[in-house]
Amino acid sequence: MPTTNQSASGGTGRSPLRQPTRRAVLMGALGAGAALATSACSSGGSGGNGGGVTITWFVGLGTGADPGQPEKQQRVVDAFNASQNEITLKLNVVSAASAQDTLATQISGGNAPDIVGPVGIGGAQLFDGQWLDLAPLVKSEGFDTSVYSTAQMDAMKDRTGAQVALPFGVYPSFIWYNKDLFDEAKLPYPPQKFGAKYNGGTWDMAALRELAKKLTVDANGNDATSSAFDPKKIVQWGFDPQYNEGTPQNHGTFFGAGSYVAKDNKTAQIPPAWLAEWKWYYDMIWTDHSAPTYQQLQSDTLNKGNAFATGKVAMAFTHTWYLASLTDSSGTPQTFWDIAANPSYNGEITDKQNSDSFRLTKAGKHPEAAFKVLAYLLTTGAGDLLKIYNAMPANKKLQADYIKSLDKTWTQGVDWQVALDALEHPDVPSAEGWMPNYNKSVDLTNKFGNRWVTTPGLDIDAEAAKLRTQLQALFDTAG
Amino acid sequence: MLDVLQSGNLAGAAAPAGGDGRKSERRNGLLFVSPWLLGLLLFYIGPMIATLVMSFTDYHYVSESGAGTRFVGLDNWSRLFNDPMVAHSAFVTLKFALLFVPLSVLLPLALAYLMTARGLWARGFFRAAFFLPAIVPGVSALFVWQGFLNGDDGWLNRMLGVIGISGPNWLGDTTWVLPGYALIATWGVGNTMLIFTSALNGVPRELYEAATIDGAGPWYLFRHVTLPMISPMTFYNLVLTLVALGQYFVVPFVLTKGTGDPGGSGMFYTMYFYRETFRFYDAGYGSALAWMMFAAIMAATGLLFWSQRFWVHYAYEVKS
Repeated sequence: MPTTNQSASGGTGRSPLRQPTRRAVLMGALGAGAALATSACSSGGSGGNGGGVTITWFVGLGTGADPGQPEKQQRVVDAFNASQNEITLKLNVVSAASAQDTLATQISGGNAPDIVGPVGIGGAQLFDGQWLDLAPLVKSEGFDTSVYSTAQMDAMKDRTGAQVALPFGVYPSFIWYNKDLFDEAKLPYPPQKFGAKYNGGTWDMAALRELAKKLTVDANGNDATSSAFDPKKIVQWGFDPQYNEGTPQNHGTFFGAGSYVAKDNKTAQIPPAWLAEWKWYYDMIWTDHSAPTYQQLQSDTLNKGNAFATGKVAMAFTHTWYLASLTDSSGTPQTFWDIAANPSYNGEITDKQNSDSFRLTKAGKHPEAAFKVLAYLLTTGAGDLLKIYNAMPANKKLQADYIKSLDKTWTQGVDWQVALDALEHPDVPSAEGWMPNYNKSVDLTNKFGNRWVTTPGLDIDAEAAKLRTQLQALFDTAG
Repeated sequence: MLDVLQSGNLAGAAAPAGGDGRKSERRNGLLFVSPWLLGLLLFYIGPMIATLVMSFTDYHYVSESGAGTRFVGLDNWSRLFNDPMVAHSAFVTLKFALLFVPLSVLLPLALAYLMTARGLWARGFFRAAFFLPAIVPGVSALFVWQGFLNGDDGWLNRMLGVIGISGPNWLGDTTWVLPGYALIATWGVGNTMLIFTSALNGVPRELYEAATIDGAGPWYLFRHVTLPMISPMTFYNLVLTLVALGQYFVVPFVLTKGTGDPGGSGMFYTMYFYRETFRFYDAGYGSALAWMMFAAIMAATGLLFWSQRFWVHYAYEVKS
């Protein structure tokens, strides 16, 4: 072992195994640091196909992070980057579970993305005050908004009247029904024209409730109208407000539009239509047993909440985004269903509509470039993106192609005109609209909603009064 | 070279025993630990100091009103002591501790005892089987547990039904949700079981033989030989369990989507901290909550360390 020439201080000896000098170590560390920094800069800088400024697109606050979606969105990004050389678009997809935290952290850390979306009205409220008013950019860039209706444009304004988004995708809601279960019960299908009659009578909420009872069946084959019906052995349910069960304002809008906050933006209120729906739905769960409880929804029988897709629920009330979940366990589209018109309540028909769009952050550093990307996503890229998100185009010119594309997947001959007609009955104001202390207020309403689907024997009038009182307390503490 | 090996002083092998060699050794040592020290400073000490400062501010990640951050003195701390949800969530955590801590120590000890039993057949298989859950990704396992414990068609209630017992709604009933979580906790006892197995195997046979000659029975052997001899490992596992309890979050968060349902009976302190900090963006108050949690865990761990003089048996004397 050639160690004899080593000196105490590592000085004169020239052994090949000598200890590295401090300078060598420092130089090595500096070199490694520089290499890391260069690598970091090149990956986060303005490299890539497009060149020029880098625009970051944050996905996850709404749809867009489900399996298969990120790759397809990346193809849209690649197409944009290949189409020009002034902007490099970077996609940042975050899972829905952590998107809110991630975006909050990015904004607070001064690292806000330029574009966020697709995001619905409710998701955007979580970051109220962070969105850029697009009106000046629409004007300066000459973006054509004539393809959207005034109502759609207004729906994209925030509570201050700022145009914080442009219409992109809409998700009307309606009744989805299982044809097989109706056939088995020898019952006529619900009407597909809004305002039409059902079986000679008015197609209203009372009719739907009665129909749901007939379609709720126990293990012995008795339906919920029978005295022999056993609610402990239900194998088929009549109705479920699919994926809206624990959110009172969402399923409440089935009866009529409303808001928890009065027009003064300060006073808490419970819209009468919502209260009526809450009692109606609560009784369907706990008295009629025609709507599943939360426990039943979370069972394997109802596929942990994706109830209608199991084929064990006769009718559901939900939005077009539900198409993404309407598959069997192998991912094959289910074709046992069609869609029908919403029933009326007190003679009025309300269609709860969700909408998705993209928003620019106020903290974004390149608003003009970001708006150019936004314009691309809303026009050239819209066709592909709408398919990825299962969204109906807000742009009426694109709607016919969208319907055609649906028929390729859902081959049973769905009457998509129902979805188009539903757009004529929008819920104004939106159930997802602003209210003071938004995050805490939504948390509170969900707490009540979850309690109702898990707890029998409640007095819903008293619950609603309690909710109003607690909401008012939250509104009063809003900054 | 032999001298070096005998002295165990490899780093200073070429250096004389004088001051320069020691300095060089110290410098090299510091250089090698510096990445860890840097990480400790940047990712632990720094954020801890930052959160302590933040606990005296009204800092919000995302402010609805757009107002800037202000120093608010002791407001967050005073709010913490008057917030009924803090007391509620701490109480939920303590109630759960009554189930979680004994289960997390006694069950793996019992399993380890069985694993080391003389006549056990297929010992390797059982050991692997009990440890296997520890390598299954936690969140996927949770969804299986959710199905297993479903009050409507869960396997557990089906099995109970076979023997005529109508099982509760484990995760949806305020009375049963914590026992339900405790059952889920049994999923992760494999690690602790292995530590106990190793400790049990390390108990000298002579002690058992001597005690047996003196007429000791199985219970006496366990109580007066086994337990004292494995007490350092019991202590170690208790400390880890206590820390795990302080961090208990993923199970209730995933299963209730952060709501703490039913009726807040699953709202652990960590969940409440998360909700205030990351759902409502109230980082100032969240920092105060985090520091309170830190202080509580430190106090409990300190108490445990103090108590070891009464029940932990070390084969050698620990000198400070």
